[in-house]
Amino acid sequence: MIVRWEDCIRRAFAAVALLAVISLFEGGLAQDAMPQPNPDPASSPAKANAAGPSYLEPLNPGETIGVLGKSVVAPNGEGLGLITDVIVDRTGQPRAAVIDFGGFLGVGSRKIAVDWNLLSFDPEKRDRAAVLALRRREIRAAPEYRGDATSAEMVGPPLVGPSSGDAGK
Amino acid sequence: MLANERVGAVSGGARRGSGRVTAASAGSGLDWFNFFVANIQTGFGPFIAVYLTTQGWTQTQIGLALSVGTLAAMASQLPAGALVDAIRSKAAVALFSILAFTASAVLLALWPTPLFVYLAEVLHGFSSCTLGPAIATMSLIIAGRQALGLRLGRNARFAAIGNGVGAALMGACGYYYSSRSVFFLTAALTIVGLVPLLPLARLYGPGRPAARHDAATARHRDPVVSVLTNRALLSFAVCAMLFTLGNAAMLPLAGSFVTERAESEATLLIAAGIVLPQLVAAALSPTLGQLAEARGRRLVLFLGFSTLPIRGVLFAAFPEPGTMVLVQALDGIAGASLGIIGPLVTSDVAANSGRYNLALGFVGLMIGVGATFSTAVAGWIADAFGNSTAFMTLAAIGLAAAALVWMAMPETRPGDAGIQTISA
Repeated sequence: MIVRWEDCIRRAFAAVALLAVISLFEGGLAQDAMPQPNPDPASSPAKANAAGPSYLEPLNPGETIGVLGKSVVAPNGEGLGLITDVIVDRTGQPRAAVIDFGGFLGVGSRKIAVDWNLLSFDPEKRDRAAVLALRRREIRAAPEYRGDATSAEMVGPPLVGPSSGDAGK
Repeated sequence: MLANERVGAVSGGARRGSGRVTAASAGSGLDWFNFFVANIQTGFGPFIAVYLTTQGWTQTQIGLALSVGTLAAMASQLPAGALVDAIRSKAAVALFSILAFTASAVLLALWPTPLFVYLAEVLHGFSSCTLGPAIATMSLIIAGRQALGLRLGRNARFAAIGNGVGAALMGACGYYYSSRSVFFLTAALTIVGLVPLLPLARLYGPGRPAARHDAATARHRDPVVSVLTNRALLSFAVCAMLFTLGNAAMLPLAGSFVTERAESEATLLIAAGIVLPQLVAAALSPTLGQLAEARGRRLVLFLGFSTLPIRGVLFAAFPEPGTMVLVQALDGIAGASLGIIGPLVTSDVAANSGRYNLALGFVGLMIGVGATFSTAVAGWIADAFGNSTAFMTLAAIGLAAAALVWMAMPETRPGDAGIQTISA
């Protein structure tokens, strides 16, 4: 029944084309309506057409960079993982980065917190990974980081001394 | 190889009316379709979490998106099964399921915003539930009930090869290019995967002799309740749920253990832990299918399930990365036997009830429940009592599943004493 089959294919591709068109159309709308991770304090509904915030400071792309989802490498270029969270203290200063470390196709990764000061970024090259001043073996055995745990630890700078390999313990 | 030729001969012989050429090409179409479906599914697994992380998603958002997918898949199992029962052309069901995968992969790759990711997850969840039963029913039509075990063994072999190749291909793609490219590759593969469907579509041609063994299109339908309360089906579904409860968390747990202990080869070791079981399954599946026809379903399922307690105990006893990867290979036996026996037992019970796909959906639902709770239970135990306790607990659950197969599951092989098929 070749006719039936071709009919099937024709209908299917029509459906996919329709879906694609709808997606394109909705995509434009959705991106406007989608709540972004950093909320805009000026979006008060009462003054819909008011001018923007009263004061603006530059946030130059060449000098600053977002970190969520950024990949992290060791100084020797070895891939370590992705930044999934930033831990701040009472004043909002970053203390640690949570890294989703290791794994293959999402299997076997571990969440590890590392000292924020050990990370360096390159805002001028946005695709470049953040560099962590630790080697893989220095962080692999760190305790799993859990946001809801009563206590948590982060991997600090390597100890100066002979037994620096156990920084994570 | 000899086994393959025999399978070909059997399924060829089963369809005298339509000519051997069509039967053979439908058979090899089904082989390659299984290969591509397994291939395509690789990207939709835990990898989605990695991809969404690279897109700046928070872990809470990702958890929500994955839950949407899980819930959609669970809620779809029974309705999807009933839908597939009602549609005459299973090749058309397969076609639309694959096209839904295409749409899902394209949405994920192009618009990783919450609305479209949820939509992609729901599309994928639902069409997974229609695709599995459609493949099983096409297998039943091609092989007939007498040779279904051999056919399912072949399906499992090609699916295992597809899984292994998919993991290697997608892993390399994500590593050397980008996470996004994995979904473009997936979309491209869905289109290639439609090619083997072409000969299968002709199964429904005018000269089709399938009216004899047509579970697929029975006019008469048994009441849903009598199908789902069949003792053989229920006990199999409970065993499969229990097994998956013990099994699903095993690989992630072992994987994070390898990440913790191994040096820079950790990633390769985990990749090996994913691919190796597929090689084992590819090698053994046809034999397991033959064994199920020659010695019964219960034996094969028992053999497969009993590898789970062995694996858990070995993980706990020899927590070394290299050893764990080798032990993980045993998962291939368990996965293959569940993949073969699931559609086979369901066919024994419900092939002539007009509710074959609904029954498959029921089994899928139970397995889904097991998988969902597995990682939660194992994660909690690993946190509270350590990894080896978690492995031993999973082993104990696996032992219970194997024991339940031996003690409570009736043999359903046609011709065996005590067979329980549904008759209205």
